[in-house]
Amino acid sequence: MNLDLGGPGAGCSALRVRRLLAGELSGVEKERTEEHVRGCERCARVEREIAEEREALRRDVPFPQFAAAVAEKLARRPQRSFASRWAPLAAAAGLLLVTGSVLVLQHPDTDTVRVKGGASAHLFVQDQAGVREVAPGDALAPGARLLLSLQPAGRKRAAAVLLEPGEASVVYDGPAVEGTLPQAFEWTGKGVATLLVVLSDSRMDAKSIRSPADAPRGAEVLAITLRR
Amino acid sequence: MLTGGRAGEVAGPGPSAPAGLLAELYEKHAAAVYGRCRYLLKDEAEAKDALQDVFVKVLQGLSGFRAAASPSTWILRIATHHCLNLLRARKALWREQIKALRADLREETETPDRRELVRLLLAAAPEEAQEVAVLYFVDELTQAEIGQELGRSLPTVRKRLQEFLDCAREALGVKLEGGDL
Repeated sequence: MNLDLGGPGAGCSALRVRRLLAGELSGVEKERTEEHVRGCERCARVEREIAEEREALRRDVPFPQFAAAVAEKLARRPQRSFASRWAPLAAAAGLLLVTGSVLVLQHPDTDTVRVKGGASAHLFVQDQAGVREVAPGDALAPGARLLLSLQPAGRKRAAAVLLEPGEASVVYDGPAVEGTLPQAFEWTGKGVATLLVVLSDSRMDAKSIRSPADAPRGAEVLAITLRR
Repeated sequence: MLTGGRAGEVAGPGPSAPAGLLAELYEKHAAAVYGRCRYLLKDEAEAKDALQDVFVKVLQGLSGFRAAASPSTWILRIATHHCLNLLRARKALWREQIKALRADLREETETPDRRELVRLLLAAAPEEAQEVAVLYFVDELTQAEIGQELGRSLPTVRKRLQEFLDCAREALGVKLEGGDL
């Protein structure tokens, strides 16, 4: 049996097609590549693959989720190395990274439950300035879209409830997925509100959660304060 | 009070906004990187995670990115390197896939497509030969272009490709052809 692994062809190169479409070619090289691609079925197939890649990205990794995840990964890096090397860049990218936590971690029943490592929740805001993690004391702009990212540390279920005076709204109730939740939300209230994140191994009724005391026994409860 | 919406429906920052750099990098390069991660890792969740990690590396090495003659090539090399590292960590599984492929070829069932074949055979090759093989068989750079990209001589590039083919032949027990080799 004889197998063909491919490789560059006469004038054909997948990367050259990519570079052409990315505007990285110029002069004679650009003209030659454009002329070649016009009459080449193999290169046309590469163009179709590139179009499919773009569709897959839009479908699977929309920009807000991507930006929040990148910001979170940068924020998790050691402060010293990040601050000394990448702070100017992050500012330019609109990724205002904070080292302080906006979370207050409480264990309603720490005597009976073994905490499975460091569960955490991070709230990201997207407004005119870009995507950034909400810092303690941040005042949220009207119309700002909020994205919640979880590190459930092995917990199976998650609930997020927005508590305002006299009102509670369920933001999320489902599996404790790791990373940014698919659903963005907007807080339209004023003053101070609390986003209560409950991570549990057992099922829970998010609608019945009005305070940390309502969390199931052994759950981890994290509170994020929102201000406007 | 609360209003909701899919995260994907949130409008991205405009190009003139301060968030424009990340948005621009996403717009120009994320699709290719995600495609490379999906191709090499064969797992959507891992590919998404790798995509984010690659962009963290890009943001950390922005001076290199800006200095690159071809940003597309530079960023795809970062993605390839990152994914190959992840794959090396689970080499046992990767090698099992080669064994399964070898058995399939013996039974003369349908052979995988060319790119999938290359992906599987990377497991059999030494580290530097893996990157050269991706540049040659997937990105379709000529040997001269690979030498220029990696800062290696033409004989070295040829030697690495030969290593890849030798390892692949040994792993599969079949004759292999590739480009102008």
